[in-house]
Amino acid sequence: MKNKRLELSEAVKEVPENGCSISFGGFAITRNPIAFVNEMIRQKKKSLDIYQVIAGMDTELLVGAGSVKSLSYSAGSLDRFGRFERINEAINKGEIDVREYTLLSLEMRFLAGSMGIPFIPNKSLLGTDMLNDLIVKNDDAIRIEISPFDNERYVYLKQLQPDIVVIHAQYADEKGNIIIEGPSWDLEVAKSAKKLYVTVEKIVSSEYIKRHCEKVVIPSVFTHAVIEVPFGAFPTAVYKAYDYDSEFLTYYAKINKNAGDFNNYLNEYVYGTRNHDDFLNKTGGFSRLKLIIADPVSGY
Amino acid sequence: MSTKYKYTNNELMAVSASRFLRDGDNVVVGLGLPQIASCLAKATHAPNLNIIYEIGVINPEVKEMGVGIADPRLWYNCDHFTSFLGTMGQTLQRGMVDVGFLGGLQVDKFGNINSTLIKTDLGKRHFNGSGGAADIACFAKRLLVIVKHEKRKLVEKVDFLTSVGWLNGGNSRQKEGLPVCEEIKIITNLCVFAFSNDRQIKIETIHPGVSKQSIIENTGFEIDIPDNIAITSEPTDEEILLLRNNIDPMRMYIG
Repeated sequence: MKNKRLELSEAVKEVPENGCSISFGGFAITRNPIAFVNEMIRQKKKSLDIYQVIAGMDTELLVGAGSVKSLSYSAGSLDRFGRFERINEAINKGEIDVREYTLLSLEMRFLAGSMGIPFIPNKSLLGTDMLNDLIVKNDDAIRIEISPFDNERYVYLKQLQPDIVVIHAQYADEKGNIIIEGPSWDLEVAKSAKKLYVTVEKIVSSEYIKRHCEKVVIPSVFTHAVIEVPFGAFPTAVYKAYDYDSEFLTYYAKINKNAGDFNNYLNEYVYGTRNHDDFLNKTGGFSRLKLIIADPVSGY
Repeated sequence: MSTKYKYTNNELMAVSASRFLRDGDNVVVGLGLPQIASCLAKATHAPNLNIIYEIGVINPEVKEMGVGIADPRLWYNCDHFTSFLGTMGQTLQRGMVDVGFLGGLQVDKFGNINSTLIKTDLGKRHFNGSGGAADIACFAKRLLVIVKHEKRKLVEKVDFLTSVGWLNGGNSRQKEGLPVCEEIKIITNLCVFAFSNDRQIKIETIHPGVSKQSIIENTGFEIDIPDNIAITSEPTDEEILLLRNNIDPMRMYIG
């Protein structure tokens, strides 16, 4: 079978320069494809339409970097570290076209996409101002209908198959059989992709995959490319690999409060670094990373 | 049987919330007081409680509080890992969740919640957004809202309706097409609110030592408090000791 291994910079070169629909697998401060996103910012990708059920630091960085045209999501924060102030400010100032959903309604759009069906019914937007806003914007992804099977009111949600989905996982082989340890909230998103890119902590042998096939949650049929990036989610957590870096996230939650400080951050940590290794060295290198390596029992 | 310990507002709220849970309930929780209340219920009267986090974690046995449900600390020793679909779709939407906990920026007199944005003179100010809250408000059978008792938070009408409670009262929730909700309660640091059969808000109990006047002054809608209003039951020694020694020893949430 085809070897789908790519280097990070090559993979990111495949993302269109000027606009595509794209989704990321991060959730708040966990399993965010930060290395991929930082490289997208270095390569100056623009006009992205981002779809993400719960936003992570991945999307916040791209919004702050001015790479985003529209954002469809249900929520997101840095958990107790702080809010996504780059996202909030972009919404307040009308700099991005925001489409707000409930968690499940957006998840079900990905589910429909992953199954190749045109739409899926759901009730949880009914009565909400998220639904009113989508109607005001003439959003073609929603229709309020009466189901012919139970005569009940539903919002029919249009399927979603993003051009590109990027997730970060613990392991995959070169064919793209992906192992995710811990909860796999990003499974339907990954399977809905036209092209799925996965960054992994380590590329493992196909022999390992065959011996642990019950741990594979996304088989290679869905995967377009596999990119090995150790600590590729830093400073966010990867279960059983490393904890989030609370010191760095505390710092980030200060500098994301205004555009000037955030731009200085980008200049220093993203534009000012050539690649992810360089980024990790800048953020403290091995002496920092060794402090957050996960305990194999607790997973953090 | 009240406690000999001097307790905090948050401890009283956690204890009140835990008593809302019944043995065998399936409950969707988030970090903070909901997590604390669920752990307390499980350690006392509801050992068969099933705790569900939207991120895809079922029945963890947390030993260290974390920063949010994305924190692997909150996944420790769980029964099952799944996806959003497994928790919010196949469990919650399916109708298997008994209790949902909610919080927010504002709650109105019909129990509707805003967790999205506040309208100010300078324009809209966006916060974290709805996440799974609106799904929980839609599909859970009983809702427990925990909110700080302030005039700007308990309002006549929310600035943005994120999660539907009783919508506009009467049978408006049902007419909109939402599934049946059996009960909504709101726990604040001053009192517990409930709703009459025609979905009018009322005070169920006021917390020990709280004056009627302070409730009226801190509530953004008109509220009637009968003379014979009941007092919220105080925590027991057992509950206080469990909270302080086992559930939140760092006192991150119980104050």
